[in-house]
Amino acid sequence: MSEIEHTIQSTASLIKALAIAVIVAVVLFVTLVLPIEFGIDPTGLGDRLGVVNLISAEPEAPVVARAGEGELAFRSDETVIAVAANSGLEYKFFLDQHGSLNYDWSLDSDAALYFDLHGEPEGDTTGYFESYGAATVGAMKGTITTPFAGSHGWYWRNDTGEDVNVTLVTQGNYEIIGLK
Amino acid sequence: MNPKHSLADGSSQIIHFYEAVRLSRKVLIGLASLFVILLPGGAFAHGVDESTQQFLANNEGVAILPFLYIGAKHMITGYDHLLFLVGVIFFLYRPKDVLVYVSFFTLGHSLTLLFGVYQDIRVNAYLIDAIIGLSIVYKGFDNLGGFQRLLGFQPNTMAAVLIFGLFHGFGLATKLQDFEFDREGLLQNLIAFNVGVEIGQFLALIFIVIALTFWRRYASYLQFASTTNVALMSAGFLLTLYQLAGYVVY
Repeated sequence: MSEIEHTIQSTASLIKALAIAVIVAVVLFVTLVLPIEFGIDPTGLGDRLGVVNLISAEPEAPVVARAGEGELAFRSDETVIAVAANSGLEYKFFLDQHGSLNYDWSLDSDAALYFDLHGEPEGDTTGYFESYGAATVGAMKGTITTPFAGSHGWYWRNDTGEDVNVTLVTQGNYEIIGLK
Repeated sequence: MNPKHSLADGSSQIIHFYEAVRLSRKVLIGLASLFVILLPGGAFAHGVDESTQQFLANNEGVAILPFLYIGAKHMITGYDHLLFLVGVIFFLYRPKDVLVYVSFFTLGHSLTLLFGVYQDIRVNAYLIDAIIGLSIVYKGFDNLGGFQRLLGFQPNTMAAVLIFGLFHGFGLATKLQDFEFDREGLLQNLIAFNVGVEIGQFLALIFIVIALTFWRRYASYLQFASTTNVALMSAGFLLTLYQLAGYVVY
């Protein structure tokens, strides 16, 4: 079978070609591919270009804004709540029925707190509450859409011997009730 | 003074060094720009995108046209397969030769695609894709006459294309296997996928051959032939590194 006439490269230029190919590949790999695809940034270039984890990052979920059966305005808040050692407290928001609360809370240490995210119907005196989730973790984020109007939020219990601060970031259609 | 270290040798060494730097810069800029252009597509060019995923998961039974389309789409966006093909036909100018070599590649990848998916043979996708990267390096190196010059023999190109084709086929198979899909009508769907791959390959080749034929009219073709094959090898190495990193990390 015939090919276009082309000279076979000399040994020197072949070695050179291989070396260049490898070096270029390694350079591009370390400066671009590692930061963009794997979030590994040994040269710091990915950080400067702002492309770290560009491809593999989890898609951002949109912030839910649902006023539900009411007309509360959408708002964003951030607060720090101190939970003393071996104690518990509640922090609540008022939401209308089917309103949404986006939340993201984290701690200032490696500790884990027991939490119970729950809601109490408006005007209820029986102590009834509905738990949306409970666990012992160091951080959590998500969105709740309320089944009824009332106060919704967290019970945090600090079973560790150290005081802990909870940073709570919220967005949604609510009013702050605060510590209870 | 030792004639080996005369001024003339010194300056020609300097010239060779600057040539190497210039060549590296050309290759680097060329590859980096190609990389940036392909990056958005790269997110799915080496996997199957969301909508295809949805379709495969929900499909029941025989769906010839959709699988045909998915196969074609996968080949057209499969830059690793296309780069290998570019390397293979780079110096082939007779249509008959192009047909022969592409057929060996087609035979190879069809065998392992059909066999792999139908028999549910599981190979590590990252390792296979790393080998595909090396196939691109092989062809670039071969085009430079590397084997004859450095290793003293010319590996049978048709056999190499067939054998690397087998690996490319496993690569295609792993992409399909990544998804749960209905086994009913598998054979028909699989054959449709394969036919789609060939249609995609054919379409891509038309463009590649047209581009090459056009370029070959110019003296620059031979001048830049070696640069292009160096770039091909570099792309192959980059792809291999990328896949090996994926293997290690995931």
